Amino acid sequence: MTIELAYILISIFLFLSGLFGVIIRKNLITLLVSTELMLNGVNLGFVSMDRIVGGVEGQIFALFVLTVAAAEVAVGLGLVVAIFRLRGYEGSSEITQLRD
Amino acid sequence: MEWLIFGLLAVWLLASVFGTLFFKNPVHVILSFLSVILAVAGMFLHLGAELLAGLQLIIYAVAIIVFYVLVITTIPWEKIKKFEGIYKKEALIAFPFFAFSFGAISYMVLKGNFQVSNKVPAENNIVSVGKTLFTNYLFPFEVASVILLTAMIGAIILGRKEE
Repeated sequence: MTIELAYILISIFLFLSGLFGVIIRKNLITLLVSTELMLNGVNLGFVSMDRIVGGVEGQIFALFVLTVAAAEVAVGLGLVVAIFRLRGYEGSSEITQLRD
Repeated sequence: MEWLIFGLLAVWLLASVFGTLFFKNPVHVILSFLSVILAVAGMFLHLGAELLAGLQLIIYAVAIIVFYVLVITTIPWEKIKKFEGIYKKEALIAFPFFAFSFGAISYMVLKGNFQVSNKVPAENNIVSVGKTLFTNYLFPFEVASVILLTAMIGAIILGRKEE
């Protein structure tokens, strides 16, 4: 077992714990933080596969993932603020439809 | 020595991931997520991706965390405190599935035939990433800027007050 494989195992753990957090958290903001955990896990997997292959393409894809993460957090937090403003605060279990 | 650095970073990362998953207070969750980001940046440095470690610190640890904290300050605190913690029954049901999938994927990774190339990069990391990004991946780079513009317009429209 080389150190790159150990890093890949860590990245799998990070991704799955982000998914677990999306399922179990009640608060909308902490739910968004869990999606960020998943994105970090994917980045770590890209970079360690890059070390295995010996190129730089994985780092470039990780750069694009960072861009999409910034866009996602802007839109997601805008949605959270809009939900807070429209109906008072709702937990993640009470938003079951996409309209009023 | 490599395994010592790996062990330190991995223990740090695991502790902060558990904090992110199970703390009650959203501000504590965001602080432990900051700790996750710093640990992942250390792992990037250890894997030899210096540019990505710097970008991780700039984009995540500065921009995104500050944005989360700003959003928390704009929302009244009682509304945030009303729903906190985790769904216990769902956690108990979901945990075996995640443990099984972690075991299965790890088994496949460990049994797989990965050959680590010992190719030493000819030039430093930032130079090679920049060359590849602005030659082979120029079009996806431009598309990423369009995605950021679209997200900016969408966030402005969503955050506007309704008349």
